[in-house]
Amino acid sequence: MVKDIRKNRVPMPEQPVETRITNFHEVPLGYSPEQAIEEAKRCLQCGKPPCIGNCPVEVDVKQFLKELSEGCFREAFLTIKKCNPIPAIAGRVCPQENQCEGACTLGNIGSQINIGKLESFLGDWAMENGVEEAFTINEKPEKVAVIGSGPSGISCSVDLRKNGYQVTLFEALHKAGGVLQYGIPEFRLPKKVVDEELSYLNKIGVDIKLNTIIGQNLSFKELREEYDAIFVCTGAGAPRFLRIPGEELNGLYSANEFLIRTNLMKAYMFPDEYDTPIVVGDRVAVIGAGNVAMDAARCSIRMGSKVSMIYRRSRKESPARIEEVQHALEEGLDLMELVNPVRILGENGWVKGVQLIRMRLGDPDETGRRKPYPVPGSEFVVNFDTVIEAIGTLPNRLFLERARGLEVNKKGGILVDENLQTRIEGVFAGGDAISGGATVIQALGEGRKAAKSIHEYLKRKH
Amino acid sequence: MSVQKAVNGKLTMLIKKLGKTSLELFDYQVGNSFHAVIGPMGNATPIKKYGNIVWGADLVCGYAENWAHCNALRRIEGNHVISMVSFPSKEDVYLEEELRSVSDEYYITTYDGSYGRKGHYLDILEDLLCEGRVDIVFACGDIATMKDLAKITKRFDVPAKVVLRQIMVDATGMCGSCRVFIDGEMKLTCIDGPMFDAHKVDFDEVINRLGMFKKAEETAKERYLVKGE
Repeated sequence: MVKDIRKNRVPMPEQPVETRITNFHEVPLGYSPEQAIEEAKRCLQCGKPPCIGNCPVEVDVKQFLKELSEGCFREAFLTIKKCNPIPAIAGRVCPQENQCEGACTLGNIGSQINIGKLESFLGDWAMENGVEEAFTINEKPEKVAVIGSGPSGISCSVDLRKNGYQVTLFEALHKAGGVLQYGIPEFRLPKKVVDEELSYLNKIGVDIKLNTIIGQNLSFKELREEYDAIFVCTGAGAPRFLRIPGEELNGLYSANEFLIRTNLMKAYMFPDEYDTPIVVGDRVAVIGAGNVAMDAARCSIRMGSKVSMIYRRSRKESPARIEEVQHALEEGLDLMELVNPVRILGENGWVKGVQLIRMRLGDPDETGRRKPYPVPGSEFVVNFDTVIEAIGTLPNRLFLERARGLEVNKKGGILVDENLQTRIEGVFAGGDAISGGATVIQALGEGRKAAKSIHEYLKRKH
Repeated sequence: MSVQKAVNGKLTMLIKKLGKTSLELFDYQVGNSFHAVIGPMGNATPIKKYGNIVWGADLVCGYAENWAHCNALRRIEGNHVISMVSFPSKEDVYLEEELRSVSDEYYITTYDGSYGRKGHYLDILEDLLCEGRVDIVFACGDIATMKDLAKITKRFDVPAKVVLRQIMVDATGMCGSCRVFIDGEMKLTCIDGPMFDAHKVDFDEVINRLGMFKKAEETAKERYLVKGE
């Protein structure tokens, strides 16, 4: 019997554009319980669900949707939590269209299930209702140090702790969460959600040491002496610059600086509530078109600027989440396609404009996207007073340069074997520190994999 | 602000009342505390034999760094430490005895001539360079002084190192705000510095970028002062 399937998603209520560009509150308002159940009921409960295999941490999507459709929120939440320690966060920031939702069979006849929003609905519901996973910890004496409290550090710490290990999680900044805290803006991932979801780590007994820079305040050597195993997940937070003339000018930021000032240091509340300032001009150019570029652009819009995005390819090659691109365009982003900056122009030490060159697309490159080439003689100038470069990041090198014996590849990523072990015994690595920049969920997956490898390693050793 | 010494868990810092944060620090009472103190950051100065060393300092709080470095360098055999400091006027002078006690030679100047020699320590440095008495020059403090110091030492072909300051957000290499250009190559003051070869630094760029948040700094200071009244 064929069910009468709703072809389209239950619409997600959102803050209207004209309101949201004046504040930093979250854009989607979230499903009500009734709406969530209705959306979950659309699931076909496929015999061989493709969504699960397409999730880096293999969340049992089919099962949680079934439970949710029956109104069993607790069971649905616990099903996710088995594989993903931070559902409220992941539901908000995963590129679902390339993962679970991308594989959803319903896509053949209508729109895919809104798995991401259902995941964050359950995460939020569990926090509001104080629902937590119940388990017993069989304490083990071995100590493990995890360096970096971003997504892979979180998942690795949780799994190791559940296994009974004594876990210390080190964080250089004054708040735990890594990129979730300093990078992703409030309107996409409220920091209250991050803080609350991460308080779970404290509850299960992970010892979080903030304001501690390994390699600087505490040496790698000291750490190796004190701990039985180490997981290095220091992330890829070092900004890449274009290395074109004019980058010394005032008014030019790396996207990282711009986002750290805005998100972590709350510069948009300067000087009333916070001390860190930010200078944003009337006309802002954001270079790049990934998620970070979208975040920087939308922060600028909220601080009252007119924003142009400078992208050397065309919109369909943009690696950003579809939702972010749509939101940004609705909010008035001017997306300049097929243009590339040649130099930043200045006046009296400040950015005045950008000299651009038009690009054309050639054959696909190794990423499968068509490669851009400059069109000779097509240069022109556009006036801007702020430029934000969002062209990617590199692995953080502070720790790596001070960690003797750790080998890195040409791009600065730590070299590991198939079990995520580095060339040093007992030292493992994962997340953006090995890949040079990927997604939150991929990092979560690697954290879990590392926890497994560390468990195997410690079992062998003792 | 700068750190003079860190001994047995006790940190001695020199802080000049200047902007919002330093004003707030002066309003601290016994029992107030920082959220956290992290350090030392950046790379340590190699403490080794250099020969005849000049350590110059001026402006805000360069003197504290001067003290720590002179104190360490002087313990190395073969080093002869010459301290040079400049102040606007006699009433601005501080740390004199401490610095004198860790220096083999000590020169002090004031811009108005009210104490020590009149003028800037760069004049004395030039004299010593003429006499061929200097193997290396270190400097901290005013960036404009460093720019002149670089020119002078280059003329005499004497190596010079400067402790750069630049605006930082996280100080761990993640923001790029403290980028400086060394021989045209971008470096980060926080993790590549703070000491750089004076002959390779683009000082005009450093000075310009230090002014990026001037307006906001003024706003924050004014608001803090108004609130306190």
